[in-house]
Amino acid sequence: MICSNILLVDNNKIDVVSTKNAFSTLGIATTLHFAESENEAWSLLQGDHKISPTPKIILIDINENGLSGLNLLYNIRRHPDLKSILVFVITKANDDENKVAALNLNIAGYIRKPIESENNIDFFSILNDYWNIIEYSSEKK
Amino acid sequence: MTHRLVNILLVEDDEIDVMNVKRAFSKNNIKNPLFVAGNGVEALEMLKSVIIPLPRIIILDINMPKMNGIEFLKVLREDEKLKNISVFVMTTSNEDSDKIDAYNLNVAGYILKPLSFEKFISSVATLKNFWQLCEM
Repeated sequence: MICSNILLVDNNKIDVVSTKNAFSTLGIATTLHFAESENEAWSLLQGDHKISPTPKIILIDINENGLSGLNLLYNIRRHPDLKSILVFVITKANDDENKVAALNLNIAGYIRKPIESENNIDFFSILNDYWNIIEYSSEKK
Repeated sequence: MTHRLVNILLVEDDEIDVMNVKRAFSKNNIKNPLFVAGNGVEALEMLKSVIIPLPRIIILDINMPKMNGIEFLKVLREDEKLKNISVFVMTTSNEDSDKIDAYNLNVAGYILKPLSFEKFISSVATLKNFWQLCEM
């Protein structure tokens, strides 16, 4: 059974809308939360606007001009209450340095996003199938 | 990912489960070289000398003799050369404590072994699709 909250960190509004649409089309039974920056994401994980229960899954969408996600990932891995979160880095960019750094921080997947947005449904369908075969530990409030 | 045929290491002590994984790989046309270790100690030995290049994927059982899955994961994550390997737990243990320990050691997924072989084939098909999305 998929977890109740997923956090998407993405500074591209068009990508956010297309991700939202894919979740809705696929009927993914979770609440999708959004953050535009690493700071905003951190405040949703630990700050005044903390999401409860803590998300079990975070998607960090990297684009060529935007966030690297690495600081956020590093802070998540150092935090006792957050370090177990499954982080998926999603990108259209081809940045080997970022990939190696993210893999060293034990992300669950470094995933190349389809260039054509019409393939987004298939892309999220595969991810959703995967999220549905895995087990999660009990949720923290 | 699997089209580059990265090596996969299965750490599993139950011979029937090893056979099931091999059959499910075959049914799903997964052609990656599959190495098998019977416990954590054997897996670490294989990672240090036998498997070249290092596997990018480890499928890990939890309950095993000599060194169990969680103990193995702890050693793996402390080793600079091995710590970034993606680990997928595949176990019959539905204990919350095992899930917490495994996710604290940053496994990519914790999968309960399905009871029927048909469901097992289907879970491996889902894993294959996910692996194909991933760059490793």
